[in-house]
Amino acid sequence: MASTKDDAAQLIYTPNVQHNGVLNSAKFLSSCFAGAVAGVLGLENWLGFGLFVMSILLSSAFMYAINCKGRPAKYITGGVWELVNPGQDNMFTFVLVWTLFYGIVHVYD
Amino acid sequence: MDTKVSLYLDPQIRDWVLFPITLVMILVGILRHYIVILLQSPPKKMTRAAIREQRALLRSQILRESSGNSPVPPAFYQSISQHLSQSFESGSYLKDGPPKSDAPTAPPNPMSDPAAMDGMMAGMKTQAVMMVPQMVLMGWINFFFQGFVLIKLPFPLTLGFKSMLQRGIETPDMDVRWVSSLSWYFLNFFGLNGLYALILGNDNSADSSRDMAMSPYAGVGLQQPAQAQDYNKLFKAEKDNLELAEGLYSWTGKDIETRLLKKYGKLP
Repeated sequence: MASTKDDAAQLIYTPNVQHNGVLNSAKFLSSCFAGAVAGVLGLENWLGFGLFVMSILLSSAFMYAINCKGRPAKYITGGVWELVNPGQDNMFTFVLVWTLFYGIVHVYD
Repeated sequence: MDTKVSLYLDPQIRDWVLFPITLVMILVGILRHYIVILLQSPPKKMTRAAIREQRALLRSQILRESSGNSPVPPAFYQSISQHLSQSFESGSYLKDGPPKSDAPTAPPNPMSDPAAMDGMMAGMKTQAVMMVPQMVLMGWINFFFQGFVLIKLPFPLTLGFKSMLQRGIETPDMDVRWVSSLSWYFLNFFGLNGLYALILGNDNSADSSRDMAMSPYAGVGLQQPAQAQDYNKLFKAEKDNLELAEGLYSWTGKDIETRLLKKYGKLP
């Protein structure tokens, strides 16, 4: 019954995990700004999504280096993938802000 | 030849439709969050005996959960574990005292037990509050902001979306990227969840994605702290689990002196 995962799960200190929510705020804000940049620059189709991917990689590189000090497994359950993964919410946020700014700058007079 | 034709849209559409829809949706989300908080009835006060019953079960679960890498030294772990096992066996934590061996107790029927009904009503009220603003907003947008092109999407979509996103605009040839206000509603619907998480904190009730994921089950199970269950049976099962966990118990500080000395190289 006591598998490795159970053992690992027993060592987690919950308040620390909850504080990891600040990383989610950082991801949300970076996807907002990425959306704004994509919209203002008038990027379309794949270029826009490409910018989103670049922004995710850049912000997770910063989080990796500064917050996790190069060892994400120590700070985040789920390791590197959970650090990089923006989540469905941020994807939609990016699309929303991108559409908004694209419309304001390039569609309206 | 550049075949891209660009429509010119009146900036007043931007001022009077784009921003207001977004603003209204943000405000409705915040409103929904606070209404849910206000609607939640305070948890029903339970008697001390009833609370003790629940807490005993919780205590043994907490003890069991970390038994493989337990932070509790052996003397404490074993004494707590044995005390709990004996109490469960004799039924001394039960709300109504130790069970009389002849009368089998039946768990109270959820429909007839008034306490359980309160829980279910609260759940259903929450669900209604979540759904109503969405319907109202869609109706409002369909009524007032219908029949014109609002914005151009920066990414292409298939023709299948044309009927949904260009509702009210009868042009068979127009690019799917020019969409009506209803599609702006959908974009906002999905995209504002992150904003709510930022403003209202993580556990907010304005989250639309959570609505759709939870709708069949929510409310029925959540508010009810297992009042309809037969604690005697639960205690018996818990006693078995406790004994199992005791078999798997291992202190994280076992042989810590040796481990520490080995780590710093003082012992071979």
